[in-house]
Amino acid sequence: MVRDLCMFAGFNEDSQIVWFKVTYSKEPGSLSIITDFFEKENAFIMFGHIDNITQTTGEYSIFTELKKDVDMANLAQKIGELEVVNAVEFGISEFGMIYSVDFPLNVIGVRGVMARALTIVDIIKTLNQSVPHAEGLLTLSGLRGGSHAAKYFKSIMPINNSNFASMLAELYRAVGWGILEIDCNPETYEGKIIVKDSFIADVYGASDQPVCAFMSGYFAGYLTEYFGKNISVREVSCKATGKNFCEHVISLAPSSASQEYQLRGDTR
Amino acid sequence: MIRQPNVILGNDELLVTMGRKGDILGLFYPRRDHAQHVEESLACIHTGERLLWTNDNDWHSIQNYIEDTNIVSTKLYHDSGIRISILDLVHPEVPVLIRRFKVQSQQKMSGKFFYYSNFNVGETSKKNSAFCDTEARLLAQYWQNYYIGIYALPEFTEWQIGKAMDTIWWTNSKYDMEDGKLQRNKEDIGNINNAVGWDLELEADGANEFVIFIGAASSRSLLYKRMHELSKMPLEHIFEKTREHWVMWLSKKHVLKMPGLEGHNNLRQELFNAYNRALLMLYLLNDREYGSFVAAPEFDSNFEKCGGYGFCWNRDTSEVVLALKHSGYPEYCDRFFKWCIRAQLPDGSWFQRYWLNGDIAPSWGNFDYSTQIDETGSTLHAMDVYYRILEGLKKVEFLEEVWVSVLRAAEYLMKRTKSGLHESCMDLWETYYGVFTYTNASIYAGLMGASHLAEENGESGMARRWKKRAEFIKQATIDRFWLQEGYFAKGIINEKLDKTIDASVLGAYMPFGMLSPKDPVERDMILFLIENIQKKLSIPINAGNGIKRYENDSYIDGNPWIITTLWLSEAMFAFVLDLPNGKEGPYAEDVKKLTDEGVKCLRWALAGATSTGLLPEQVDKSTGKPAWAIPLGWSGSLMLDNILLLDKICRRNAGNHE
Repeated sequence: MVRDLCMFAGFNEDSQIVWFKVTYSKEPGSLSIITDFFEKENAFIMFGHIDNITQTTGEYSIFTELKKDVDMANLAQKIGELEVVNAVEFGISEFGMIYSVDFPLNVIGVRGVMARALTIVDIIKTLNQSVPHAEGLLTLSGLRGGSHAAKYFKSIMPINNSNFASMLAELYRAVGWGILEIDCNPETYEGKIIVKDSFIADVYGASDQPVCAFMSGYFAGYLTEYFGKNISVREVSCKATGKNFCEHVISLAPSSASQEYQLRGDTR
Repeated sequence: MIRQPNVILGNDELLVTMGRKGDILGLFYPRRDHAQHVEESLACIHTGERLLWTNDNDWHSIQNYIEDTNIVSTKLYHDSGIRISILDLVHPEVPVLIRRFKVQSQQKMSGKFFYYSNFNVGETSKKNSAFCDTEARLLAQYWQNYYIGIYALPEFTEWQIGKAMDTIWWTNSKYDMEDGKLQRNKEDIGNINNAVGWDLELEADGANEFVIFIGAASSRSLLYKRMHELSKMPLEHIFEKTREHWVMWLSKKHVLKMPGLEGHNNLRQELFNAYNRALLMLYLLNDREYGSFVAAPEFDSNFEKCGGYGFCWNRDTSEVVLALKHSGYPEYCDRFFKWCIRAQLPDGSWFQRYWLNGDIAPSWGNFDYSTQIDETGSTLHAMDVYYRILEGLKKVEFLEEVWVSVLRAAEYLMKRTKSGLHESCMDLWETYYGVFTYTNASIYAGLMGASHLAEENGESGMARRWKKRAEFIKQATIDRFWLQEGYFAKGIINEKLDKTIDASVLGAYMPFGMLSPKDPVERDMILFLIENIQKKLSIPINAGNGIKRYENDSYIDGNPWIITTLWLSEAMFAFVLDLPNGKEGPYAEDVKKLTDEGVKCLRWALAGATSTGLLPEQVDKSTGKPAWAIPLGWSGSLMLDNILLLDKICRRNAGNHE
């Protein structure tokens, strides 16, 4: 969980946010050895988190901002060679989605909160069970969020056809919503988004119908704001219905009524 | 989502409730209780860059009625220098709301003026249908035989009808407005919303004007005809006609004089205004066809935080129609008592609350133990009070008309009071089961009233029997509930005497007259009641004290209420008038003190009104702002009663016994 909190710097094109997860032997002074090493390498620790996994082993997650020319693999290897270290993992954030772990948490420019996926899915479930047009309501709710995200990205960094998809994917990973594979043609506005480990589908339980309308709406809002065209996103395959992953189809929203109904699969 | 209005307007068929920024919260047609056709309806400006919704926090508003009318002026000021003046009126004869928007900007701007609506025609979001007739420039939405239409001058140049809550979000009119142009879809079905738009080209300090007609009808052709005819009339003509309608209606009122109040910091004028506003407000809560009243325009139709208010309670309405009668409008009594005859239950009682057509409303009082017997007592009492002030042939005809109903109701009260105190039922606050002072007092008054009517009808045997029972109830109530601390207990709850002090025990004096100031012992009891309620239930706010319902009240945060505060002042004023010799006699000191205290209560109630002068049910104990049901008819009727009593006191003090 802590690993997903790793990206907490504002966007800086010369640097990148890097996280290291260091598994170490819990001996007197072992943490000092690790932190001394980082200091010598000019890797300023912006945030650290310690998990006491066992009586003898600990896990130290470190978040740091480093110049882009630093060889991360080499640095990780050096950490791994420290006497007290058992294993090292690392990862890089290109866009810095979460930039503060102080209270209150800040996610892409506005206050964020953390919640168990179940907490949010309970809300979604209650809506689906009790409210007419719940799918529409969830789509509209997601739409706002996606639109705000794209607006924020536009305001803080250059966003273009080469990075709009990876920014969205990084955001999703950072906030723990899912792992995205985005294939979207900016010329035709068509494509698809695969969501692996969607937090909604993962904890929703079995369902006859796709349950990730909120995410479809979020994608639609993001892409609509980025492209400046109304984009339709609908979930055609959902893990909650027994599939391996969720799939959302992207297309340009139709401008006439008859097409809308065709899009929804209705016979007219 | 619960949203309380700041202002209401309408005519006999249409009732509109609005927020302080001119956003429509409710549009009731053809009755005040059904159907409510609007979820959202408001103006919005697209500046060329973004939307400015007129109900956003960025707007500051000033809202008031045009004097002595139900015509509303709302002025909106945006930080960006845009200003909108809205004039809202409902044509006196047809159910059409006319909204004139005058948009001004300090800076040159090029954008759009949009009017957005989310109608739930027929009070449902299901199976609605809407179309935009681009030739007639009429946008209409309908469900069964309810039609709501929008027409405008100048004619709107763009429009959208789309799905309000659907995955095909790009048809949603609210989203469609965001890019500053509408898609012009001409028809759709289901849960839909709509928007119409115009170019907004403003020079610095220039102005654009848009007049929007929102009409209701029972058929498509009638809607077209109404809109067409209205659009031909100059707005100034409609305005004058509407203003004249209200001024003429108010001219029938009992005229106040209030001599001697001239020097009280404008109090006299404030009371004149409050009197007129209460009358104009009550007009809008009344159903002309059936004679019933909604307690307040409904604002919680899903019963999310309360049981709702858009129904008719006999308890409230009995006081409302009598107040209107005292104010010069006897026709409301006539129609309401006719309604009562139709609505009476087979056992002779009246139900907790009704739809305005007399059908029983959603209720948590369906059994003998959960019914509210005081409603039957109040109704009988009101019938007798009305009878006593009628004259000549009218008196005879009224008695003939209500007699059977009186007989059935009185026998019901007899059946429920065999041991003196009433059998267990629900209290007037609709919260507790048990035996209550207020309910017993209302039954006393009901049976005394019935006894008088029986006597007048030549049924002296019945009259004696009912009077004897009334006196038995009075004695039992005093014996069992009067406390040595100097007030009545609330009643018996869970078979135990509940000594909580409850403002409703004032009912033993006003309005039910179970205690009489003419009896020296009872006179002291009344004074003790007034003193103890004032001492124990006062909540300081708005530079005065409001009276909460009872100790440890938790409903909507235990705020002070207008009716409890005005009960107190009404008791004070009535007591003053009941004392012999007024300010010159042996009770001169009491007279002065009670009058002054009563005036303080009145001032407090006025301070808790909306910016438009509407009296709410409650006043927020922390902010001093109007709270919960707005406007509450019962609050308005008590304001009328209080002002009329104070007028009498002033006249008596001035030596005028007119």
